[in-house]
Amino acid sequence: MSVLDVLITYHVAFLDGLRVTLELCAVIWPTGIVLGILLGVIAAGHPKIWGRFTRGMAFALSAIPTLVVLFWLHYPAQAVFDMVINPFFTASLTLSLVNVFGVGEMVRQAIADFPQQYLIAGRVCGLQRRDIVARIQLPILFRTLLPGLMVQQVIMLHTTLFASLISVEEIFRVAQRINSSIYRPVEIYTALGCFFLAVCLPINWFAAWLKKRYTRDLSER
Amino acid sequence: MLEAKTLSFAYADRPILKDVSVQIAQGDITVLIGPSGCGKTTLLRCLALLEQPKAGCVQVDEAVFSAPWPKGGIENPPWPRLTAVFQQLFLWPHLTLRENILMPVLRLHKTDNEDQLDALIEAFDMQAFITRYPNEASLGQRQRVALARALMLQPRYLLLDEITSALDVEQIAKILAYLKNLRGKQIGIFLITHLLGFARHTADQVLFMADGTIVERGGADILRNPQTERLSQFLSVIAAAS
Repeated sequence: MSVLDVLITYHVAFLDGLRVTLELCAVIWPTGIVLGILLGVIAAGHPKIWGRFTRGMAFALSAIPTLVVLFWLHYPAQAVFDMVINPFFTASLTLSLVNVFGVGEMVRQAIADFPQQYLIAGRVCGLQRRDIVARIQLPILFRTLLPGLMVQQVIMLHTTLFASLISVEEIFRVAQRINSSIYRPVEIYTALGCFFLAVCLPINWFAAWLKKRYTRDLSER
Repeated sequence: MLEAKTLSFAYADRPILKDVSVQIAQGDITVLIGPSGCGKTTLLRCLALLEQPKAGCVQVDEAVFSAPWPKGGIENPPWPRLTAVFQQLFLWPHLTLRENILMPVLRLHKTDNEDQLDALIEAFDMQAFITRYPNEASLGQRQRVALARALMLQPRYLLLDEITSALDVEQIAKILAYLKNLRGKQIGIFLITHLLGFARHTADQVLFMADGTIVERGGADILRNPQTERLSQFLSVIAAAS
């Protein structure tokens, strides 16, 4: 059985798995980007309380493996609170949390490290605060943050694989299930790689386009 | 008149400015000289209302800004009627040099004032590089752009911190000649520089600063006949170095 045979025979199952993976991403990406940016802005504006909280949470979530957090929220937390939650929601919540604090810390740091001289130049040129933000701060921050944000989202896509371990029927779990019935690991995991390539390539192209369109090499020539 | 009255400034417990008073009249060129680290740039930043002095006040025409400032910062700051060009230039890296010059004027006056820009491009010899980004231009080119950006805003007072430090002799001559012409437009210029020749020939007022105080002040003749030992010493060091 070739990779193509695997893809043809099991395409319905694979596509179902891919749908679940993309559904997870549809929750994780916007939540992480919107709430993360919001959190980063608030954290930069209130460094003592929100800044420390964001840094602390980002540090904790980067130190504890995502799988441990996922398992903890799936097993002990649900036992402690005596409730049963759909694993899809648990996975969405866990990965969204990781993404929100990852993006939030990235944004907080970019704002905190923003070169003040550009703002001073705007002030002495008589620009209003809103013009300084819209014409100077946001464009420079966007260009600074863009590559990191895109990488973070691709990492989050890859992290959705962990959801399979709490029984979310995403594409990796589907591949495992097919493999357990026909045992063709080479073909099946190659096919799985093809699916990830198909999803990640457009994202990487989009990231490269954004980078080319909005960022440039700022090093001194 | 731009005036600083008994300004004091300190970083933590280290005093930088001690009771400094200066007056800059419209149409006059005031040159500030002094050894490195004596507080020249801090004085300029205080005059530009970018640093809050510990004591004293800055008066820009009728508006008085006394220390300490209100909690939310000064109200109705006088920028860009009073503007500054810094040694580090602070050009915005995401905009071309042309956009750096035009963006503030477009936001403030809603017009790009192409004629004025063309005149500045010609005066400062910027045709060859005006479409580049700051990091693609030499320091000397950036210095000219930073000055052009400030001039496009038609300020009444222009504070300049060592803006000719990276220029060649020809460009220095051009820019200094242009600054001289600004007198006719009633722009008050405050210039920190080591170009004593320019100060001798052009300055209406020369201030010599050392250790956070104005040690000597007067017309350009104080550079020929210094009245204090400290200025004599400074001038002889510069003469020996050049």
